[in-house]
Amino acid sequence: MVKKTKVYVGMSGGVDSSLSAALLVEQGYDVTGVYMKNWTMDLPGVKCPWADDLADAKRVAVQLGIDFKVFDFQKEYKQKVVDYMIDEYKKGRTPNPDIMCNQEVKFKLFLDAALEDGADLIATGHYARVSNSETEMSASVSKEHLQPEFSKAPGPLMDAARSRSEEIGAGSSVHGYKGVLLRAVDDNKDQTYFLYRVTGEAMAKTLFPIGEFTKPQVRKMAAERGLTTAIKKDSQGICFVGQVGIRDFLSMYVKQQSGKIIESKSKKVLGHHDGAIFYTLGQRHGLELGGGLPYYVVGKDMDKNEVYVTTDLNNDNLWSDEIHLDEVHWINQAPADGEYQIRIRHRAPLIKAFLKVSDNSAVLRFDNPERATANGQSVVIYDNEVCLGGGVVN
Amino acid sequence: MSTEQIYLDYAAATPIDERVIAVMQTYFTDDFYNPSSPYMPAVKVRRAFEDAKQTLANLIGAKSGAVIMTAGATESINLAFNWVTGHVVVPNIEHHAVLRCASALSHTIVSADSRGYVSAEVIKEAIRPDTQLVSVALANNELGTIQPIRAIAEIIKNEREQRLISGNLTPIFLHCDASQGAGQIDINVARLGVDMMTINAGKIYGPKQVGLLWADSRVQLAPQIVGGGQERGMRSGTENVAGTIGFAKALELVIEHRTFESERLAKLRDDLQRTLTSAFSDAVVSGYEKHRLASYLHISFPGIDAERLIFILENRSVLVASGSACAANKGTRSHVLTAIGLAPELADGSIRITLGHQSNTENVKKAGKILIEEINNEYARIKR
Repeated sequence: MVKKTKVYVGMSGGVDSSLSAALLVEQGYDVTGVYMKNWTMDLPGVKCPWADDLADAKRVAVQLGIDFKVFDFQKEYKQKVVDYMIDEYKKGRTPNPDIMCNQEVKFKLFLDAALEDGADLIATGHYARVSNSETEMSASVSKEHLQPEFSKAPGPLMDAARSRSEEIGAGSSVHGYKGVLLRAVDDNKDQTYFLYRVTGEAMAKTLFPIGEFTKPQVRKMAAERGLTTAIKKDSQGICFVGQVGIRDFLSMYVKQQSGKIIESKSKKVLGHHDGAIFYTLGQRHGLELGGGLPYYVVGKDMDKNEVYVTTDLNNDNLWSDEIHLDEVHWINQAPADGEYQIRIRHRAPLIKAFLKVSDNSAVLRFDNPERATANGQSVVIYDNEVCLGGGVVN
Repeated sequence: MSTEQIYLDYAAATPIDERVIAVMQTYFTDDFYNPSSPYMPAVKVRRAFEDAKQTLANLIGAKSGAVIMTAGATESINLAFNWVTGHVVVPNIEHHAVLRCASALSHTIVSADSRGYVSAEVIKEAIRPDTQLVSVALANNELGTIQPIRAIAEIIKNEREQRLISGNLTPIFLHCDASQGAGQIDINVARLGVDMMTINAGKIYGPKQVGLLWADSRVQLAPQIVGGGQERGMRSGTENVAGTIGFAKALELVIEHRTFESERLAKLRDDLQRTLTSAFSDAVVSGYEKHRLASYLHISFPGIDAERLIFILENRSVLVASGSACAANKGTRSHVLTAIGLAPELADGSIRITLGHQSNTENVKKAGKILIEEINNEYARIKR
């Protein structure tokens, strides 16, 4: 008997990763579910918030008859994701912890720990796809991934899953090839924005079983399989911040300090805030300056603890025809200068931009000015379906 | 509860007895009045409410003192601690409500032994001149171990006497959380010798969110919920008439059938324990077998992941409790199992089976068979 390919699937207790695990089992992989215990604020006297998610993940694993493990990444997660996020905010920047989580935890720590534990591949429930340019040549050696029961699976959805398995399961088991990250089929759910700092090597070892499906399809398929998480609500916001919200979360780490809110043109003091750290460029809400036209943040001075605002949507600071990126990361090789599409936040529409790449930085130019991006925010660069990488606004 | 389901977690929740629902019904609809209202229909409701409270007092053998109705045992426990300004003594296997109340005060946590038994001796040693409250559960909620409340009450009585002799006027009282066991063993406050007692309707086939705290007249309680001054000012808020009347009926019923039911459950439990321990020679039963509630079986299967087992059993319509919540996080492994020194691999492989009204020879046998089957499957999966 040929040994089945061993896949460790990250299971969060949500519907996406639950279905991912189910599909992998149907595709004939030897599947192990893994719950990643990341850092959460466990307050004394408060029911531990992640226990229900862990239980949901485990229940689905039991339902699927697969092994289930818990990988404890609390310490690393706290350092690499939480502390990073707090530091960035302290510098007046607007970081994205989900991007750090994927870069440092899911596609590094988890990948390494899974491989170390005997896995051939990892999988997650992200809405994204991987393609491997070497699949064609290696597909023939890897047909053993496909089990007989799998090929009996009916319907167009399963056909999609099957072709996907042939494409990726095959190539990625061969050493040395890099995976190409592609946008999800569901444009509304595509999560490649959060994935742009992963490596091609990691992608070659990764399966995204639901990347071919839309969210409604995922829910339907989960329900068809009787998965207990089929109707579970999607999680909202940053996981470790949970119910409290980013503002309250930061307040626990940063001393609140009152400062002035200043009209950017007239320099008139309009009111006061409790810390410039809590404000981000382009932000409209939370200024509590009373009625009238909405105010937008157009800048802040972290040293003076001042926030500058305007009601003028045409204010120069709110628009720019150029973005400078630092900490540039390419999933595979750096692209050539030229016209690409970019995304400035998760689910934002793709914008056409001209990319000029230098060593660790890049410049993006637009034909028409676009809404300005805040320092620390990530901009992700696409060549049509392919997510190339991106950088951090500076 | 569906007929094919085998519910074995009566220590977590009990279905309401139909006779209890029957007496509550009218207070939701026809007799909905606020017991504080002046007109006769409301006065009748007040009388029914007071009668139910009197019934509750009689059933626990309280000749004097105050019965304060609360929204469950957790609130009762908080009320029992709320007046304390000095030192408290509690065992390390108490319910979280007790431990958290104690941790907010000057406290000494005493250790139970490996059977989850708290000797009167360790309580005695922990009492200081400024100790105002000792709180010990009648039976431990994870293991079912019954505590020597009478002996502990003797210690408190002696301490009180000694203090008077030495001129120390600091009051000292014994609170007993009798949430577990109220339906199975004696809860007569006079016979137990306690000064305060908490019980809970939701564990004795009554409604959830209904509990009471009885306190001897010497205890100067301090309210934690203030307002209209109901319940002698100790617990404001419009009275839960239906809940209280249901509670009285539920307690009446369990006390009436207590001896018979305890013997019946003990036999079922012993059979199940024998079945499981002969099938798995390395299974470990925790708790004090000679002093254990009849409904309880806490059993560990080394190497088994109990949480996983619970989901497997759930798919076979058998519902049991995990001996160890949050098993994946070492920091939050059941404090009771840690306290009695149960090895981590036993703690993580432990389940709590608690029997009740709907348990019978047939379904407990069937559950035993399913347990053996599934535990064997799990051992096979682990070895693979």
